[in-house]
Amino acid sequence: MTISQMLLLAVVGAPGAVFALFSLLWLLGWTPPERLLTRVTSVVYLLATAAVGWLAWSLHASGQTAIAVSLGDWFVVHEYTFPLALLADHLSLPFLALTVILVGLIGHFSATYLHRDPGFERFYILLHLFAFGALVIFSAGSFDLVIVGWEMVGITSVLLISFFKTRQGPVQGALHVFVVYRACDIGIITAAYLMHHFAHTSSFVDGMPHLTSGDATIVGLFLLLSAAGKSAQVPFSGWLPNAMEGPTPSSAIFYGAISIHAGAYLLLRSQSILLESTTASVAVIIIGTLTAIHGTFVGRTCADAKTSLAYAALAQLGVVFVEIGLGLTWLPVLHILGHAMVRTLQFLRAPSMLHDYHQVHAAAGGHLGKTGQHYDSYLPEPVRIWLYRMAMDRGHLDTILENGFIQPLLQLSKGLARLDRIGLSSDKTTVDKPPNLPVVLRAEEGVSNG
Amino acid sequence: MADLSFPLITAAVGLPLIAAAVAFSNDSRARLAGIIGAAGATLCSAKILLEVNAAPGLRLAEPWAFGLFTADSLNATFLLLYSLLTLGIVILAPRRDTSARITGATLLVLAATLSAYGADNLIVLGAAWVLSAVPFIVGPFTGTWRPRAGLAASCLALVAAIGIIAQSAQTAGDLEPFSLSSLQGHNYGGSAAFALLLIAIVFRKGIFPAHAWIEDAAEAGPVLPVCLFINGHLGGFLLARVVIPDFPLVSLGAFPILSDLALLTALYAAIRAVAETRARRILALLVLSQSACILAGLESATQEGITGALVHIIVVSVATTGLFSVLRLMEVRFGRTFTADHYLGLGEYTPRLAVFFVVCGLALVGLPGTLGFCSEDLLIHGTLSSHPQIGLLLPVATAMNAVSLFRLFSKLFLGKPRGSIQGITDALPRERWVLASIVVFIVAAGLMPSQIVTLRTNAAQAISRLW
Repeated sequence: MTISQMLLLAVVGAPGAVFALFSLLWLLGWTPPERLLTRVTSVVYLLATAAVGWLAWSLHASGQTAIAVSLGDWFVVHEYTFPLALLADHLSLPFLALTVILVGLIGHFSATYLHRDPGFERFYILLHLFAFGALVIFSAGSFDLVIVGWEMVGITSVLLISFFKTRQGPVQGALHVFVVYRACDIGIITAAYLMHHFAHTSSFVDGMPHLTSGDATIVGLFLLLSAAGKSAQVPFSGWLPNAMEGPTPSSAIFYGAISIHAGAYLLLRSQSILLESTTASVAVIIIGTLTAIHGTFVGRTCADAKTSLAYAALAQLGVVFVEIGLGLTWLPVLHILGHAMVRTLQFLRAPSMLHDYHQVHAAAGGHLGKTGQHYDSYLPEPVRIWLYRMAMDRGHLDTILENGFIQPLLQLSKGLARLDRIGLSSDKTTVDKPPNLPVVLRAEEGVSNG
Repeated sequence: MADLSFPLITAAVGLPLIAAAVAFSNDSRARLAGIIGAAGATLCSAKILLEVNAAPGLRLAEPWAFGLFTADSLNATFLLLYSLLTLGIVILAPRRDTSARITGATLLVLAATLSAYGADNLIVLGAAWVLSAVPFIVGPFTGTWRPRAGLAASCLALVAAIGIIAQSAQTAGDLEPFSLSSLQGHNYGGSAAFALLLIAIVFRKGIFPAHAWIEDAAEAGPVLPVCLFINGHLGGFLLARVVIPDFPLVSLGAFPILSDLALLTALYAAIRAVAETRARRILALLVLSQSACILAGLESATQEGITGALVHIIVVSVATTGLFSVLRLMEVRFGRTFTADHYLGLGEYTPRLAVFFVVCGLALVGLPGTLGFCSEDLLIHGTLSSHPQIGLLLPVATAMNAVSLFRLFSKLFLGKPRGSIQGITDALPRERWVLASIVVFIVAAGLMPSQIVTLRTNAAQAISRLW
């Protein structure tokens, strides 16, 4: 194994090792002090940044197209193998660099921002798990391995949205996000499954699996489903405002920078499959266009800074999707890198922005002038009102999903429950109620003591 | 056929039986008797596994004349897994769940289940199958009528099937009509025995439309013994041990139907769980849904699918034991059974139990980094050629199960705590060590699954060779 290969392995593995160590010690009863956590975080990501810099330099100097690390097979059964292969090429290296730099910065920022917060340790432990998941996505050599990182990023995202766990809003928001994530994850799992079916591999270390145009359409559309879910594209954008319930640093890294761009990375990685199919490419362009328009309109009616920023990010991501659908490669990568950096800064500045704004007011001796007219003022008033209402309700997307999918599913579930009750005199079965208990919650709603 | 170094299966069965007798007679020492009995069974099972691994591909008999038990790559892991699960539950069970009757009956179920795993004789298998169900039909674990009826139906079907098979073997002049080893490929009993065996499996495993009894048992019965009983997976074991060897060709023809039924059960239970509010029922439905995938994998007739199913049995057993255990510990602490109607915020008092719950839950639904990911990956890929619909619909069922599980976790552990509760402790040391062992196993095996997968591949090879 060369130095570059060892460095790639270390960059991806270090956050996972830190997560495993701290979480196991916590489970066994030890709580790491704040200073230790922040210093370990700083050191790990500083070294990781240097290592990624070395990888980029060595790739450039050697004239190679990629650094690949094969760790053998994770497991083997008969003819089926799950290869563990990492890949750092011209597409993945920028994303690896973006991840280690931004996670290091967020770790540094949060040391002050979350100082003495009851969930300080939890935040850092989950931040390392998230970094591990993101690095696995960006360095994976097969779609099977992408799924591993994909799911880790998803669950970390959800757990950090519910960071303020005693408040109902974040907890409900986390559940909403989890539902959308899991529903859309079916796309990437099925796509990988179909790649094995059609091409007998999902590895792209030696190039993308060869698919016919028809197969590429099916696989591309399933990949688009997952990418759209992770990147909050139309019609799945409704979860984004709920995700803003988490602490600001996690909102910055997830929904300003890394997680929300993971969908775009997936499409970039599978771009050759998408380009095999006109249907899939056009679908990407349509979804990107709709999302850009949706994000622009909805963002202008948002009352809070973080949600407004989230929709601004959404509009940009829509444009990135269009660029990918058009077959461009470097423009979307540059777009993503620049956008992620700017948006992270904006998210991190959001809490102090209002304070600064008031200071500018005071320095100017009164209210600042208007920023100028918007183009929408040229529209007829009834159209503006209609658009405003639609934007206020976030394009009615949540209502459409609720009425078209969730409610029918719940009705079906309740119908099946009635079917299961056939033969029972009553649905209230007797429960082995423990005797003489300190029943502290018995008076509450929802208690079923049998 | 080689021999075990000692009558280890008899010892693994006998020790819990002796411990059960002690537990029934001495209420104050019941837990201690349970721990000793289950630990003894665990040690014997571990030794059996070592000896089986040292002689790959062989079926090891016991060094005594009766020849009732044998060990091979299929049952050796089950023996160890079930003994360990019972040991864990006896250690962490709350005090009120370790009375003489409950502990004694739990040990009886352990002995019966181990007998069924180790049986090389149809009568022993049938008797063990019935004995393991007795505490739930007429003993201390009885609940509503449906569990009793479901289990009684499965017992009757199996006994009838065994009778028909034995008679058919005798008619055919087989010198050992009750021996499992002599069944292979003979189609003894014909379609009647085959149908009865399938009925026994469908009832025991809770395959649609015979699934509702498992929900009722979890809701109305003592939750830890019910969890242990379900995790015996004797239905799947019967399929692998008796049905496939005796009816290799018939089973290949009938498997598409059974496989579709299993898939229907997985989806049905997953959809049912979405709107269910009672915590115990939600967990029971998740077990049903995930267990149905095991049957689908066994019926794939591919090594990948069968290995996936055998690994999934381990995942479902270990993860659901963790989930039911945490739920029971919470019920005892807070003096109630839970519903997912409101956010209860109990994680504020029991943060470690909350983490144990969420890790076990995520393993059950196949989160990467846990053994569940590996088993689901194998299940999906193994059914690629034979049952593509499973590969397409299994992720849908799993996604719905994940949502139900996270909803239950949120409602129980997140949100604002209601009222001021004093004196609630997080996981006690004995609970913490058992649950931490479960979590470490799930994660360590998930990160390095090759050992377990190889172990189960040997068993899968033995099964797939029968076709």
